[in-house]
Amino acid sequence: MSAYTPPVQALIDELGRLPGVGPKSAQRIALHLLKAEDHDVARLAEAIVIAKKRVRFCERCFNIADENLCPICTDTRREGSMLCVVEEARDIIAIEKTGVFRGRYHVLLGAISPMDGIGPEQLKIRELLTRLEPETVREVIVCTNPTIEGDVTAMYLARALSTLDIKVTRIGTGLPVGGDLEYADELTLGRALEGRHELRD
Amino acid sequence: MIVEHLELTNFRNYAAAEVHFTPGTTALIGANGQGKTNLAEALTFLATLESFRGVPVDVLIRNGEDTAIVRAQVRHPDGREVLIEAELTRTGRNRVQVNKQRLVRARDLLGVMRTTVFSPGDLALIQGGPGERRRFLDDALVAVAARNDTMRREVDRIVRQRNAFLKQIGWKTNPSALSGDETLTLDVWDEKLAEVGGQWGDARAHLVAQLQPMVTRAYEDLATQVTPIDFVYEPEWRRIGLARALAASRAEDLRRGLTTTGPHRDDLEMSVNGLPARTHASQGEQRTLALALRLATHRLVTDTMGSPPVLVLDDVLSELDPDRATALLTHMPKGQVIITSASGLPTTAHPDRILHIAAGTVTNN
Repeated sequence: MSAYTPPVQALIDELGRLPGVGPKSAQRIALHLLKAEDHDVARLAEAIVIAKKRVRFCERCFNIADENLCPICTDTRREGSMLCVVEEARDIIAIEKTGVFRGRYHVLLGAISPMDGIGPEQLKIRELLTRLEPETVREVIVCTNPTIEGDVTAMYLARALSTLDIKVTRIGTGLPVGGDLEYADELTLGRALEGRHELRD
Repeated sequence: MIVEHLELTNFRNYAAAEVHFTPGTTALIGANGQGKTNLAEALTFLATLESFRGVPVDVLIRNGEDTAIVRAQVRHPDGREVLIEAELTRTGRNRVQVNKQRLVRARDLLGVMRTTVFSPGDLALIQGGPGERRRFLDDALVAVAARNDTMRREVDRIVRQRNAFLKQIGWKTNPSALSGDETLTLDVWDEKLAEVGGQWGDARAHLVAQLQPMVTRAYEDLATQVTPIDFVYEPEWRRIGLARALAASRAEDLRRGLTTTGPHRDDLEMSVNGLPARTHASQGEQRTLALALRLATHRLVTDTMGSPPVLVLDDVLSELDPDRATALLTHMPKGQVIITSASGLPTTAHPDRILHIAAGTVTNN
């Protein structure tokens, strides 16, 4: 009993399949697009098609790239001895903003989750193993999310890399900087206490 | 903690209703099927974000409506006033506000309001399967510390992920039939389950040790005689450690495609007078033990939190003989009480306010 004509309903349905867009937002965006100027809508449609056509995954690290390799993989000033493993390309953006890490990345394109049909072979783990030795990586920092699936993926990587002479570390979990202890949730605070370190060297 | 006022919109059979409670005892009287339990259910929903009748959220929304709203004004012993609002949707994505501030995660509401419910369904704690008793223990752990909710969900998720993996690699008869990669993946799920599941088992064991003397005392209060009550929470895996237990049951798990050992399979064995309560206790003893479990939890939460949860007696007094009903009412810690009944109340109930409920409307008198 849809009140919209089929083309409008089709647009709403398509928008509603996007991440973070619920039925109400989809309806709002669709109606906005219908009111917008033809050339504005054409520009959006073109941007989507071009991005999808031009952009691909980096052959080495599976970051988003517009050539065979992404800008980070081609940047010679990057330290090749440090490799940061993340779940998604958007995690690279977040880490890059910190300016703290000068090594290279490897995107797994997900985390181990049997319920979603994702095992190690669906992730870019074999590709990770094959690039480690020729690239003389000395440390792998596992920056998967602090969720069940991210933790299990990290544990899997630690075991899979144990035969290689490479240091494997896990990103720390703890308190947000500039926040008050009293507002931290108990689980985060508990983890932060477990991950405490000595103040003297 | 006291609930001053409860407001419902499109909840169960209520289109709109508003109820004012007294700090003492409020009685909700009405014939069966008029909506007494629905009011109690709405109130406890704000404490646990689920129905104490164990039904999915969409059942709580009035027929033909998309959302239901439950709103309660709560006063803490220090005088703090808190307005709690929950919007229930059929997709299960509840929106919760505390003092008009939206909570990012609805589950952050746990612990803001606390209730203890006694209902006729509690008999299932004794007569039902192990799952009923696990749920009782786990609910109690969340009631004494809201952060336990996260760990409870983690255990559940790890077990479901591990089971999904076992099914994926398909009913192998022998661990040696696994590929190296499959073995490695199963190893890490075992490691994670051993870590979190082990902690959950410790938490349950600690809770059982705390509850046992309190249940014994509560039983004595209700039965007015000393009766030996024994609890045994000693799953095999806790003796040898979950990591070793999972390794030992790996062949069995592979064959059956599910996790056959761990906290999700435990039971709490209870006995009255040295005999198993489920099979040997009389109906009266079982009913008293179920009440004693609730009463003991109520006291434990009161002791831990420093103030009693709101007590909801849903249709239980009518099921008790007058002596036990009186014993129950006299041994409650001081606090707010809400009683529902289809018939009259025992004289010891002393309600400060009586509300009559008929066909989803509440009248004061």
